[in-house]
Amino acid sequence: MNKTNKDEIKLSIPNKPEYVSVVRLTVTGIANRMGFNIEEIEDLKVAIAEACSNAITHGHKDDDNFKVSFVIEENKLVVTVCDSGRGCMINDIKNPDLDHLNQEKEGGLGIFIIKSLMDDVKISSSVGCGTTIMMTKYVGVDR
Amino acid sequence: MSLKINKHFDEEQNQWSMELTGEVDIYTAGQLKDTFIKLIEERKENIKINAEGLDYIDSTGLGVLIGALKRLKEENKNIIIFNIKPSIKKLLNITGLDKIFIIKG
Repeated sequence: MNKTNKDEIKLSIPNKPEYVSVVRLTVTGIANRMGFNIEEIEDLKVAIAEACSNAITHGHKDDDNFKVSFVIEENKLVVTVCDSGRGCMINDIKNPDLDHLNQEKEGGLGIFIIKSLMDDVKISSSVGCGTTIMMTKYVGVDR
Repeated sequence: MSLKINKHFDEEQNQWSMELTGEVDIYTAGQLKDTFIKLIEERKENIKINAEGLDYIDSTGLGVLIGALKRLKEENKNIIIFNIKPSIKKLLNITGLDKIFIIKG
């Protein structure tokens, strides 16, 4: 790997639940060769799968694809998941309320998990233009 | 990787005994949800889950567990999870769900 340049890997994934495991396997491979440890790789797998599940759930059409990009730098991995859905009002996402359990209204748990597991998370969304979740994890920060 | 669910009713302890193997994600969560609905319809008793073979779960799977627990709580019953892998324990921890389910081992 050229240490001074960013390397980028791009995936285009059908809006179908059965392909989320493919993204998990991909991120495992990339993170493993970057030197992330097992715990960090588990964090990445969960966070990125949450973003993919979001893209599929809120994605516009069943026959469309969502995009995943992995930007590999020397000390960090930046993963961006981008759908072409209807977008959402990101300010309306609340932290999960565990005192009032409701499976149907469990949304927000995914975003909460992503923010807990990744070092930096940026979400941008506008109604009609889809949602982009950009997540960064640094190598060896928690060690 | 898929999800394998083994279940039987433990007459001695009067509770459901369930074993999860594989991954619970947006693809397999429906399968788990259907199983819970069937179990709870049949007998509304505690559900004890052996998670030794559970490699992965995300918010869609946790949502299914929350939904099942909500139904059990109407009868004051619980979900007990044991043999949990560290990565999954961490997830239950950060979401605060470790205080809602009964976690053992």
